[in-house]
Formats: sequence, C-alpha cells, structure tokens
Amino acid sequence: MAQSSSSEAKAGWLLVSPPAIYAVLLLAAPLATVLVYSVLTGEKGAVSLPFTLENYQELFTKPIYRVLMGRSLMISFLVTLATVLLAYPIAYYVSFYVKPSKKALWLFLITIPFWTSYIIRVSLWRTILGYDGIVDSVVMGLGLSDTQLNILSNGVASIIITLAHAYAPFAVLPIFVSLEKVDRSLLEAGQDLGESRWMTFLRVTLPLSLPGVIAAVLIVFIPTVGDYVTPELIGGGKTPMIANLMETQMLKQRDQAMGSAIAVAAMTIVAVISLIFVLLNRRFLGARK
Amino acid sequence: MKRGFGLKSYALLYLLFLYAPILILPLFAFNAGTVVSFPLKGFTTQWFGEMWADQNLRQALGRSLIIAFSTATISTILGIFAARASVRYRFPGKGPVFGLILLPMVLPDIVVAMALLVVLLSLGVTLSIGTIIMGHVLLCMPFAVAILTSAFQSLDKSLEEAALDLGETPWSTFRLIILPLVMPGIIASFLICFTISIDEFVVANFLGSGKPVLSVYIFGQFRFPAKVPAMLALGTILVAFSVCLLAIAEYFRRRGIAKTGGKDSGGFL
Amino acid sequence: MTSADKPTMIEFKDVHKYYGDYHALRGINGKIRAGEFFSLLGPSGCGKTTLLRTIAGFEDISSGAVLIDGKSMANVPANVRPTNMVFQSYAIFPHMSVAENVGFGLRRDPRSKAEKAKAVEEALEMVGLKGYGARAAHALSGGQRQRVALARALILKPKVLLLDEPLSALDKKMREHMQVELIKLQRQVGITFILVTHDQEEALVMSDRIAVMFEGEIAQLADPETLYRRPNSKKVADFIGTMNFIPCEIVSEAGEHVTVDAKGLGRVDLDIGQAPPARGEAPVVGLRPETLTLLYPGQTATERATEGVIDEVIYFGDMTYYDVYLGGTDVEVRLSMRNVPGRPVLDVGTKVQVAWSPSALVLFR
Repeated sequence: MAQSSSSEAKAGWLLVSPPAIYAVLLLAAPLATVLVYSVLTGEKGAVSLPFTLENYQELFTKPIYRVLMGRSLMISFLVTLATVLLAYPIAYYVSFYVKPSKKALWLFLITIPFWTSYIIRVSLWRTILGYDGIVDSVVMGLGLSDTQLNILSNGVASIIITLAHAYAPFAVLPIFVSLEKVDRSLLEAGQDLGESRWMTFLRVTLPLSLPGVIAAVLIVFIPTVGDYVTPELIGGGKTPMIANLMETQMLKQRDQAMGSAIAVAAMTIVAVISLIFVLLNRRFLGARK
Repeated sequence: MKRGFGLKSYALLYLLFLYAPILILPLFAFNAGTVVSFPLKGFTTQWFGEMWADQNLRQALGRSLIIAFSTATISTILGIFAARASVRYRFPGKGPVFGLILLPMVLPDIVVAMALLVVLLSLGVTLSIGTIIMGHVLLCMPFAVAILTSAFQSLDKSLEEAALDLGETPWSTFRLIILPLVMPGIIASFLICFTISIDEFVVANFLGSGKPVLSVYIFGQFRFPAKVPAMLALGTILVAFSVCLLAIAEYFRRRGIAKTGGKDSGGFL
Repeated sequence: MTSADKPTMIEFKDVHKYYGDYHALRGINGKIRAGEFFSLLGPSGCGKTTLLRTIAGFEDISSGAVLIDGKSMANVPANVRPTNMVFQSYAIFPHMSVAENVGFGLRRDPRSKAEKAKAVEEALEMVGLKGYGARAAHALSGGQRQRVALARALILKPKVLLLDEPLSALDKKMREHMQVELIKLQRQVGITFILVTHDQEEALVMSDRIAVMFEGEIAQLADPETLYRRPNSKKVADFIGTMNFIPCEIVSEAGEHVTVDAKGLGRVDLDIGQAPPARGEAPVVGLRPETLTLLYPGQTATERATEGVIDEVIYFGDMTYYDVYLGGTDVEVRLSMRNVPGRPVLDVGTKVQVAWSPSALVLFR
C-alpha cells in the first residue's frame, strides 16, 4: 500500500479509468456532439456547416418556442413549490415528533411509493383525474357536483398534481436530514430566551434547515424540467414541455441541430437556476457565520 | 400529548396522498368492471389471466429483465472501480472525472437519451437491447458510485493494512477483507440499479428498436382504455415485487451494519 | 533491563519522508536493539506514527534506508516484512470470529488444521482470552479487542511487534493494567516491541529506551532515566514530566566544570555532564519538582537551601504541590511533597526553607 504521490496518482487513474472511459465515450462525447450540432444547420436528419447561431436566435424569438419554454419552466416552478411546501411539515413531523426508533419506518413508508413503477404511477393519475375517472365518480357519487370535473382536460393542473406526487419523497428526505442536524439544545435555548414556539421555529429551526430546503428544490426542479413521460401521458401531448419539444425536433422534424439547441438551452437554464439557488444558499449561510 | 396532533393528522393525510395510486392498483385490478371508476363492480381475477396470456407483455418483460440484469451488473462493477478510486486514492483531475461520472444524476434523461441517439445514429449503430443497456448504465452508474462510495468509506483503512501486515497480498486482501465487508453495498447497488433500469422509460423508448421493453409497453397500453385493467393487474404485481426487493435490500443493509458492529443511523438511502 | 550489548534489530539511516511539500521525517538516524521495548514518543504530528509505518511497510520513504535485521527494506512490501502491527483502531476483522481473526495470518502456513487451531488457542491463552475463540469479533469490549489484535500479531512470531498507540482508546484504569501486561508479554516472548505513544508517562513506564520526536526529528534517544534526569534540551525536558526553569548567567566554564549564577538560587557549580551541548538559547537551569524539598521545623538541608514564600498550594491526596517564590525574587518554582503523617499541608504565605541539590540541576543554554 506504500505509495509516493505520483504512483498513488497512477494507481488512482488506473482504477478509475474503466468508469471514466465509459463516461467519456458515452456521455462527454455525445454531449460535445450535441453542443457542436446546436450551432450547425439541420435538415432531414443531417447537419451541415457553416457554424451559425440561428437555432438559438429562433429558439428565443419565435413565439411558439418562447411560450412553450416559459410554460414548461412555470410548471416546474409550481411543482417544486408545491412539493417542497407539502414536504416540509412531514419532514418536520418525522424529525421532531416521531420517536427515534420509528423514524426509519416512517422514511421507509415515504420512500416506498418512489420505488414503484414510475410509468404506472403516472398512468394511474390519468384514470384518477380523467373523464368519469375516480375523482369524478367520487365527487358525483357524493353529490358534490352534477357534472364531470374532468381535471385531466386541464393539462397544466393535472401535470402539476402528477409531478408533485411523483417527486414528493425526493423533497422530504433532504429536508428531514437537515432538520435532524439541528441541535435540539438550540431550540431549548431559544425558548429559554423567551421566544415562543413559533418564533423559535422561524428564527432558529427554519434558517438552519434551509440547506435541506434548497437541496429539495434542486432535486425536484432539475428532473421535472426535463420530464418527458408526464406531459406525454397526462397532457395527452396537448401540453408539451421542453423534453417533448426536444423529441419533436429531433425525431419528428428530423432537425437535429434545432433539437440540440433546445437540449443545450434546457441544460443551460437548469444549470443557471441551480447555480442561483446554490449561491443563495451559500450567501445565506455565509451571512450567518 | 396534544402537541403535534395537527402535524400528525397532516402526516397521515400526506401518506394517503402518496399511497392513493398504489391503493387504487389492487382495488381495480380485482374489479370486474372495465371502466376504472366507482362504484366497484365485483371481484374477478380475469385481468390477471388476460395479462398472463399476453404474449407481447411476456416478451417485453423478458427484454426488460435482460437489460436490467446487464445494467445492474455493469453499473455495479464500474461503480466498484470508481468508489474504490474515490475513497482510497488522491490524483489530479479527480474532481472533474467524478463530476462527469455523476453528471447524469442532474441531467434530464431526455438529454442523455437524445445525445446518445444522435451519436449512435451518426455512427450507423443499429438500435437494440445493447444500446438501451449502454444508456441505462450511464443513468445507473451515479447511483452505484454513490452507494458503493459510502460502503467503501465506512471501511476502516487499517483493516486492509492489517491483512497486508499479516501476510496477504493486495489481491487476497481485497478478496478476504474488502469484498465481504462491502458486499451489502454491492447487493444494494445491484438491486437499486436493477429497479431503476426496469422502471426507466425515456432511454428505453428512444434507444430501443421497435420491440418494446416493459415500461414502453405499459406506456403504450395505457392509451387504450380496454387494456387498462390488465395493466393495473400488472402494476399490482410490480408493486408487490418492488416492496419485496426493497425489503431484501433493507435486510442486507441492516445485516451489513450488524456485521460491522455499527449503529443503525436511519432508513434506506 | 540493560540491553546495550544486544544486536541491532532496526536501523534508520538518514530517513526522509515528504508528503508533497510537507517534510514529515527529516533525517532520522538510530538503532533499535533486538529484544528491547522501544518507544517513539512525541506530540501529535511529530512523525512518530509515520516512522512506525515505514518499518511496517505502509509508507515508503523519500530517501535514506530502513534496515530490519541487517536487511534493507527498500521495495519489500508490507506482507513479507518480518514485522506485525497492533493498530490504533485494533483493525479487528468484523466479519470473523475471534479465532478466525487470530488465525488469519496462518492461512498460508503449511501446518495441519488441528495444529493451527492449537496455535490459535495458545495465542489466545497468552493474552488471557482462553475460550473466547468462537465469539463474534464485533461483540468484544475495547480491552478484549486489543488482546485479540495482540494475539493475531504475535501468532506469526514476528521479529518486531509494532504498536500504534494501542492503549489510547482504553480508559485510565484499563490502560494502566494493560501497560503492565504488555511489559510482561514482551519479556515472555522476548521480541522487539516498538510502541508509538504521545503519553510520556506510558513511555517512561514501559520502555527500555525512548526516542523523543519533534517535528520529524529525533530530539533525544535514551533510556527513561536519562531522558528524565538529563534531558538534552529544554523542549524534551518540558515534554517529559514537569520541570522548573530558572533564568541564570554563566559565570565561568573550564574543563569539567561550569559555574552559573541562577536567579534565586545563587552560585552553583555544575558538572559538564549536567550541561548538554549549547543551542544558543538564553541560559536557564532546570529542576524537577521532586528534587526540591520543603524543610519542616527541625530539619536541615544536606546540601543547599534557599528561602521562599508559598504562593499556591495544590492538594492531590497523596501529594501536595507548592508554588514557591524563591529568595525574594519573582522566580517561582513548583515542588512536590509526599503527604506522610506528621507533615502538615502548609498555607499560602508561609515563609519556608527550600532544600535542593546542585547535582539535580540541568543547564540549558
């Protein structure tokens, strides 16, 4: 095991090379290709020179793209907001009120739905929310309404419900972890210093759990932006999001350059928004130290 | 204790929301009506029979199992390399390399699928089960690396040194000491990669040939109302299967903790 | 316990170790004799563990040579070196029983299964764990783990046993008990033990010889008594036990004699043996607390005595420590008195006579 630093570096590289080579060939190279394609001209399944920024120009000026991207981001924001707001009290409850011996069981219960087929979970919301579906039959059966609500016909609302359900466990876990790290004696100190329970929560617990909230936001926001299945199944293709647009350009329009530009734009938007949240978090924590 | 009562009620409602679709699955899988709607029409196992007789479904399942098994094996082996390198060695460029390996965790699946598709098509590669496995390994490897890294991290370095000190070679040390102690992590990694692969839709849909895998097949069937009850039957079985797998994974995790004499510090993941 | 005539087991020849820019070992030279209980003592970060690991083969060296039993260990991997180690964490394999742990190193041994089992049982008996073989390793207490680690290392009959802070994880009582057991064990097996510790008391109690290390260098290599009574630098004196340092002036130095004028003590003639080589520091004389004695009424000094005033009294049960201002100066010394019957504990402010002997002084300059 004795290694000087140069032979240690060699051994490390040797060991990491199989997964690294795999990632370079099948991830880095394709992403680089997409990046190059996005500044070419695409037509009928082929791309051609010269380099041009036309795709991006079109993407940010043509109303059809702008509306769709805007709505797509809006849906992701709303899903994230709903998911995190709904998740916080659960994380708080499990962390502060559930006996330590039962915490694992609660977390287990919360994560089980996540491990069941995503396609089936999403599809089920179709039958739950659809015309004469379960919601309609319950509502009408109880006499709350005379006509079918048919929530499914409202693409945005049903996508939000479905995604908020699908990503719920992702939001609970990081918040729970950060709440677990809150030193309980700080809360006693807060109340000892004359703060009410509510004020202690606002001034001590909530700020200390913010890193978990930020993590939850990112964990929900990033995959929902790129979600393909839900808009396809729930929105019935009538409420496409970025992923569906990408597919349309790449495969149906056979414009790989435009599709690539959308992919790059989507990644950039996600990266920028994530970065903003990470920086906010760091700044916030920095100010408290 | 009145404190926390409101929160507890909320928690139970939340669980109900989480479990609503899963509870509906068996309810309507055994319901005699073709329409998924209340009131229930009576008990039947007809949908299970219909599902069982579906030749296409069986073939899709077969393809999915081959893909999931290959993906879980490859991802876990690659993950062992990466985790070992991450825990034991310092080398220049380590950060960027692991950034790249873990990148698919934060990349939308559709981007991974499309980028790979563009390259595969331009290289003239025919889409097949193999291309789906390629994509799935990419998606699963970050999870394998994360799980295995924590397994390797909890291993006291002096255990390895002790084995070397007692006359074992680096390879026999790996076989006798490291492998048995990280085995729970390896099993957990395999099970999780397997589950992710079975469940995955986007890559399987775009990188596959015309022959659908299970998730793609289910996706297609839900468009036909008449096929929905059979899919609910299938879903019921899949849920039962996932819960069993999870329970097994949890069992191995706990056994791993007990084996090394550690304390249980929480739930799965 | 003298082992001066024994052959050399380990030799360091100008050993250097760099971690990147960090110079962890800065030219280590020295010999460790066969069959001796040797300690590497120093504060954390002084390089003592690194030095131990260069013997085991877990660290390679940047330059110089490590010899075991006359053979250079360059390019000899850890698994074939004639050394075995007891790790700080004990490194008990958690997935094996006690017997499997102890017998781990016998895997390549050509002996029969029964013979190996017997060897394991004997090793367990040697460390006082007879009959524990079938137990699961992770169910043992700290002290038991340590014994298993010892048995596991000793069963291979190494030429050298390396112990990396083996007692630091134990509580005080257990630690003191194991110190004695380790000494007995070392005498029983007769091989070289090399102990790394930051606890000077432990090193003094257990070792035949000690190397005191600071910042990657050996500051002094000597037997415990020499280290304690004749430390070769202020730093070593300060690290081992307590020492009073009193500023002084060197009046004259000729041949075998040095005369100093120490503040509060007056003129003292010292033997050259009491003055280790000069380091260019401001001269001070050092005195251990127990070499100073308070004179009770009716007692007289056999050698020298100085007047003083008690400034602080610290009562320890068996001992009392007094901080005393010497001879109307601002020089304060600490002295310790055994609390025997008929010797009352004195009060702060009491004027006292402090007896001392010039031969107990060490001059640092």
